[in-house]
Amino acid sequence: MTVSVQMKRIRVTGKSTVAAAVPVQPGKTHEFTALDHAMSRHTVHLVIYYRQAPTLTLPKLKESLSDVLSYYPAMTGRLVKNEGDGCGEWIVKCNDAGMRMVDARIDVTLDEFLASASDDEEKQLAYLEDVESDPYLWSPFCIQFTQFKDGSMAVGISCTHMHADPTTVGVFAKAWSDCHRRALITGPPFFHQWAFCPRKNPVPSSPHLSVKSTSSPPLPSPAMSSATFIFSASSVTQCLADMSLPDISPFDVLASLLWLRISSYKNGDLGPAQLNVALDCRRRMAAPLPSGFYGNALHFFGVKADLASGWGHVASELSRHMTGLEEDDVWSSVEWLHERRKEKAFQMYGPELTCLAWDNVPLYNTEFDAGVAPVHVTCRIGNVQGEGLVVVMAGPPGEGEHARTVMVTLPTDLTAKICHDEVILKYKPKIMFGSNI
Amino acid sequence: MPRQPSPDFSTSVKLKYVKLGYQYLVNHFLTLLLIPMIATTALELFRRGPEEISTLYDSIEFDVLHITFSVFVIIFVLIVYFMSRPRPVYLVDYACFKPSPSCRVPFATFMEHTSMICEDPKSVQFQTRILERSGLGEETCLPPANHYIPPNPTMEAARAEAQLVIFSAIDDLIKKTGLQPKHIDILVVNCSLFSPTPSLSAMIVNKYKLRSNIKSFNLSGMGCSAGLLSIDLARDLLQVHPGSNALVISTEIITPNFYKGNRRDMLLPNCLFRMGAAAVLLSNRRRDASRAKYRLLHLVRTHKGADDRAYRCVYQEEDSDGHCGISLSKDLMAIAGDALKSNITTIGPLVLPMSEQLLFFFTLVGRKLIKPNLRPYIPDFKQAFEHFCIHAGGRAVIDELQKSLQLSAEHVEASRMTLHRFGNTSSSSLWYELNYIESKGRMRRGNRVWQIGFGSGFKCNSAVWKCLRTVKTPVDGPWEECADRYPVDIPEIVKL
Repeated sequence: MTVSVQMKRIRVTGKSTVAAAVPVQPGKTHEFTALDHAMSRHTVHLVIYYRQAPTLTLPKLKESLSDVLSYYPAMTGRLVKNEGDGCGEWIVKCNDAGMRMVDARIDVTLDEFLASASDDEEKQLAYLEDVESDPYLWSPFCIQFTQFKDGSMAVGISCTHMHADPTTVGVFAKAWSDCHRRALITGPPFFHQWAFCPRKNPVPSSPHLSVKSTSSPPLPSPAMSSATFIFSASSVTQCLADMSLPDISPFDVLASLLWLRISSYKNGDLGPAQLNVALDCRRRMAAPLPSGFYGNALHFFGVKADLASGWGHVASELSRHMTGLEEDDVWSSVEWLHERRKEKAFQMYGPELTCLAWDNVPLYNTEFDAGVAPVHVTCRIGNVQGEGLVVVMAGPPGEGEHARTVMVTLPTDLTAKICHDEVILKYKPKIMFGSNI
Repeated sequence: MPRQPSPDFSTSVKLKYVKLGYQYLVNHFLTLLLIPMIATTALELFRRGPEEISTLYDSIEFDVLHITFSVFVIIFVLIVYFMSRPRPVYLVDYACFKPSPSCRVPFATFMEHTSMICEDPKSVQFQTRILERSGLGEETCLPPANHYIPPNPTMEAARAEAQLVIFSAIDDLIKKTGLQPKHIDILVVNCSLFSPTPSLSAMIVNKYKLRSNIKSFNLSGMGCSAGLLSIDLARDLLQVHPGSNALVISTEIITPNFYKGNRRDMLLPNCLFRMGAAAVLLSNRRRDASRAKYRLLHLVRTHKGADDRAYRCVYQEEDSDGHCGISLSKDLMAIAGDALKSNITTIGPLVLPMSEQLLFFFTLVGRKLIKPNLRPYIPDFKQAFEHFCIHAGGRAVIDELQKSLQLSAEHVEASRMTLHRFGNTSSSSLWYELNYIESKGRMRRGNRVWQIGFGSGFKCNSAVWKCLRTVKTPVDGPWEECADRYPVDIPEIVKL
């Protein structure tokens, strides 16, 4: 099938707005932290696939969405410039305008789609509006409901990274599913913009981010495409066995594998390199943030390793950095960002190869129907430039505890090479949404 | 300065007591006349003494013919009297559609959609101004099809809205009254702007499997006052058919009527009209008298369509771009005032106490014969009614009526709060207002309610109901969850 025919399979049937069930108190605002501002160049797109179920109809989903939005006034607000004591920064005015919603249909069944869809097609399942003229009329959040021929549903939640990081979106989806089942919301939203305010004696310092702020992506930016690899528990166990190193987590082993393979195609000969790692640090703080914390809590740091020393060395370096992350580093980084928040945001995912460690966040517990887990979950980050992004997430249910889903976003020709890489294929990952399936 | 108020105050107090005295005297004239009659009779009896009374009694000759004839005359008069009385029409109960909060349209959403759909920024500005001054709140609801950008007014969506609002209201009514669908004898549906084939009444017959000999009627195109027109039709039918009940459905379907153009006089309905429906169960059965909530006392219809200006006041037509919309003329308020005057001239003598009627009569005579400049006396309708339900057509309508009928803020509270919470739901708004009064626990046995509806044509219709049993709170209905939050203070202009 040619690409143009595939693109036509998804038909948008309407665009509307969903309002929260309970009106917002007038005058409410939501301010962004320094971390939020730093992420303003990117967007988050989460797509969750569900099989057909009697409770999973569009009217019922809209109603439960409306109910859950009553708890998230920051999501239904609009961006305005803070003319008050701020310095013209963006804040969210909780004016109760609602969340944009897109209805779409696709003429194939869910299984056919998962087997045959390309990366471009999958991207169309999570629509985010472009800011056209007035940001006050622009909805920063967008939900897309795509109905398959057999009644299955793909729910796409998109937003700007400034508003929420992937974990926040995931927690929102979980709260929505709880609301849909009329159950208690397990991770109620926690709005606390002072969570990342600088400490009393700030030590702003982030050599890693300083370097990033000054570097620029290669011009012209190459076209990026993605592919998804699902490693079953046995594959990951096999990897760990091949590694034969103690205290290595599935994330370490998979991230290092991909880092090595991607770098080998890029440079030819391997040497010392740095990986830009993003880690959700909600639970890593001494005073951990509640799971419903709303906003960005991703910490970016660099991991240096000599790729020539082999997989084992790279994995252990990665592991060392991940476990040895100090809270002080997180705070210094936050304070550094706070200092320079008036300046323009720079590329966080990129230009060097970035890896998002997201496997500590449970994804498949978003059950709209009691006991029925989603079939698949995708997480994309928008505006990834430069060398690319590797996202390591939890594996599908039923595959085992060690199973992982890895999504890579790379320059198009590199993605194709990685999809056919023998070292990776040795572990028999299931490849989905590749560019030439 | 401080001395001046007290003479005014004492004068006004004196005047108040004079007025009260006058009202009591005139309104209870016959009762007051009875007192001297009883006194005289009692005095006479005491004067005559018991022996004289017994001799008087014995002296009366009881002729069989006389007695039989008198008994027949009495029975005949009683039969004629009872047969000629109109059948009482009882309102057993009613139910209003409660919209789901997911259909809510906050101001910000409405303005965002308007900006995205309307190409003309002046129209957007105009609609913002209307919304700011409209008196609507943030909880009014539009049907799902109107949430789309741009709205998607298909026939299917309009039918879906009709089914949603009407069936919901009827289901609530069935639950409240235990009504069996097979026992419905008369069905009247009014919906002005959506008239499919088969009709909405046929849709109801189909859904609830009503009897094949049901008398069903579907009134369309009759505007916002059609609710009371349907009640009038049902009442007339109930006079002809003994031992029957009638189900009256009042609604307005918003889906097909979104105006896509830029003419200012046609943009108002977009801003004010919202989703709503009411289902009312009327009966003329005697056994329903004990469980009915209200009895219909009067229903007065006034049609000013003979006047060209009134006829064209609310007019549906196409604008220069071919978009169909309902234009509201600038002299709508004046025409409404005129229609109201006509209506109250007819209803006044039926409901006002004798004291007010006499005052009005004397002022009229005075104006005609003695002094033409004499200010016309506006009868005090607050003495005739405890509750007022004024069609929540818009803030201007309620303000105008409050002024012309000299009503207090509490009297128009039901109308204002209904406009705030539900918007202009057209013909069903009177029922939402009545439900508000009940939900606030103000409806007591013996209270009289005056419902005034205005609509295209130009028509002004009034209905007068008498409450038969005190309505206990909490009341099942659309106000159930929010009655505690009301009344709210509605600002003159909401800043958007």
